[in-house]
Amino acid sequence: MPGDSIIYRLDPRGKFLLTFYFVGIVFLANNVASYAFLLAFVLFAVYLSKINFGFFIKGLQPIFWLILFTVALQLFFTPSNHPIWHWGFLTFSKEGMVIAAYIFIRFVLIIFISTLLTLTTTPIEISDSIESILKPLKKINFPVTQVALMLSIALRFVPLLVDETTKIMDAQRARGVDFGEGGLIKRIKSFVPILIPLFVSSFSIAYDLAIAMESRGYKDGEGRSKYRVLNWSKRDNFMILFMTVLTIILLFLRSY
Amino acid sequence: MEKIISIANLNYTYPDAKQAAINDLSLDIYKNEWISIVGKNGSGKSTLTKLIDGLIEADSGTISVAGQIINEDNIWEARKKIGIIFQNPDHQFVGATVEDDVAFGLENQGMPREQMVKEIDRALELVKMSDFKKRDPQSLSGGQKQRVAIAGVLATKPQIIIMDESTSMLDPDGRKTVLNLVQQLRKEQDLTIISITHDIEETELSQRIVVLNTGKIVKDGKPVEIYDLGTDLRKYGLEEPFSSKLMSTLRDTVKLPEGYLSEEELEQQLWKLHSNM
Amino acid sequence: MEITFEHVTHSYDVNSPTANLGLDDVTLKIKNGLFTAIIGQTGSGKSTLVRHINALLKPTSGTITIGDRVITSDTNNKNLKPLRKQIGMVFQFPESQLFEETVEKDIMFGPMNFGATETEAREAARTVIKLVGLDESYLTQSPFDLSGGQMRRVAIAGVLASDPETIILDEPTAGLDPVGRKEIMSLFKDLQVKGKTIILITHNMDDVANYADAMAVIHRGKLIAQGFPKEVFNNQELLKNDLITLPKSAEFAKGLMQQGFHFDKLPITIDELGTEIKHQLNGD
Repeated sequence: MPGDSIIYRLDPRGKFLLTFYFVGIVFLANNVASYAFLLAFVLFAVYLSKINFGFFIKGLQPIFWLILFTVALQLFFTPSNHPIWHWGFLTFSKEGMVIAAYIFIRFVLIIFISTLLTLTTTPIEISDSIESILKPLKKINFPVTQVALMLSIALRFVPLLVDETTKIMDAQRARGVDFGEGGLIKRIKSFVPILIPLFVSSFSIAYDLAIAMESRGYKDGEGRSKYRVLNWSKRDNFMILFMTVLTIILLFLRSY
Repeated sequence: MEKIISIANLNYTYPDAKQAAINDLSLDIYKNEWISIVGKNGSGKSTLTKLIDGLIEADSGTISVAGQIINEDNIWEARKKIGIIFQNPDHQFVGATVEDDVAFGLENQGMPREQMVKEIDRALELVKMSDFKKRDPQSLSGGQKQRVAIAGVLATKPQIIIMDESTSMLDPDGRKTVLNLVQQLRKEQDLTIISITHDIEETELSQRIVVLNTGKIVKDGKPVEIYDLGTDLRKYGLEEPFSSKLMSTLRDTVKLPEGYLSEEELEQQLWKLHSNM
Repeated sequence: MEITFEHVTHSYDVNSPTANLGLDDVTLKIKNGLFTAIIGQTGSGKSTLVRHINALLKPTSGTITIGDRVITSDTNNKNLKPLRKQIGMVFQFPESQLFEETVEKDIMFGPMNFGATETEAREAARTVIKLVGLDESYLTQSPFDLSGGQMRRVAIAGVLASDPETIILDEPTAGLDPVGRKEIMSLFKDLQVKGKTIILITHNMDDVANYADAMAVIHRGKLIAQGFPKEVFNNQELLKNDLITLPKSAEFAKGLMQQGFHFDKLPITIDELGTEIKHQLNGD
């Protein structure tokens, strides 16, 4: 999503790695204080990004059922010596409630922080980061630059293929295909008229693109220079420092 | 006039095809001219483009670009002299943004970044797309995408631009802007333009029209000479120009000179007749 | 079958990647048996408009009446087949919808979905392949072995095979050479003469002038003009505001007016223009 704030301006490599790092340390939290501390940090980062809070809530939606299921599991299946309520194999207790709440917060933390990364970083920046992070693999002859170019081109063609899919689906619906109708076999079969044209289109796009790239002097990815550059600044050093302090406080709160 | 491309006895047959796509074709193209290559779908126009740029290899015959016969060793050098604008604007946009796409050709040459920044700005300025530098292709119209494609080609300073039906998927406004732009660039940047097209109006911008049919050149001349073919143009998948069509409806009762008249000339003629009344 | 749009508004999801503006309070009547052209700049909402006629899209508000079918925002997706059988739709670059092993099977696909028997569908395929200017020998070929222009014809045949009453065309001739273009356009004009209703989306004003009986102009999701092409192309308001481009003949006539010719209304086809000029020069 386009925008401008301190979070946007951070180097994508740092953002990328620190997001993974944060997801890791979320699992260190073990009590009210440590969870509250991490939640405060994430909410502060969300605030700094100047992005509407609604977008983060939306990030939770796709896995809503997974969250509900996991929370319910903890709520009713945590064994306890002092159950509030007990029926068959279901147990409802204070311990269960606390664990369920922790699990819920853990989900929120992970989703919010990764939503923050995807909202403030363009796909191409992520692909650049991956290229940069994988650079050492060049030594063992792994084609890092080619893979990165492949990735960025794939990203570039996603919206195009989405449009193409919509168009082909519309065309087949106009010819009487009903996608949501009939048994499983019939439904799967109804996708053949979508998939074949989509394959044909993808190949023809790929062919056109290969010709266009070759005509513009693309050989084999060697000896290319790079226009997009990533800038590591003081801000990013500060972020690393900040994360280190955050980890130390977290470790302290854990044993508190 | 200085020859920039010289094609001699070129032959090419697609694998599995019965008929030759290019059949013993010879053609000289001169510096700074705008040449239109016309013909029906399947007459060999696009094959010829790909052969000139070495994207496919001829069965026999030679192609020289700027005095050098192209072969496997110097093809990359030759390609630097030629830029191609393809038909589908979406299928040639490599970059994630306008500036990234213009950069592509320069990156391939290994140009240092500081120099690239300058070249990209220059190229976008030439096609008047500087304001769109950071935009992604989804937000551009077809015409704007083709202008970016032209910038991408101009950035590498070619001598020849091939337009392979590059306006056929654009709306009338987009087409007009792109054609005017190319015309202006040809003059300012001393470019040679090879335009492959079905559009009779587009050929009016050129100095020379070559008509292809089943891989052979059947006509080669100034636009006026080609337009003189009248209804025969249809044999080659072309339409008669507007003025010719209008003249044939008028001829039965209005006295008009023989042969082709341009729209301005026809207007003048009609005006003369009108004021003599 | 008359098609009526009443106060139809369509807003796309704000997060959707489509650049179309949707529709804004469109009220329009498309008469039975006529050739109606819909024009407007890229992204003006023309494609959105026609996708409502066979309920590929549903209005956010307003109603569309097609014969005795009424489509509103509440219309559910069940039972749309009878409607879609009556409305044939040729999309832009329709060749990309081909998927069967043979041309015949691909053409039979539509009719069979709409409940035709195999024999009926096969019969339909043999009729329409000739209609689009190809002979029966193409039926056994793979559509992917054909040239671009032939694939286009097969795709069109696939739409015509269900014998729709109304045929919607979204720039059906884009990318074809002029001769192919003319053949395809004449085919649709013939179908109209035989009683079909044709709705054509186009950027080509000469096609509008040559083939259409009625036209509608869409600008930024709004219907800004409708009527006979001759009237619309003479609408001073539209011309002044650059909302419409003229057919070639009208453009030429405008030039002649500065040379002393006089036209009550700008002629829009070559024949009209020729007749007018002869009339003014010979006085007959």
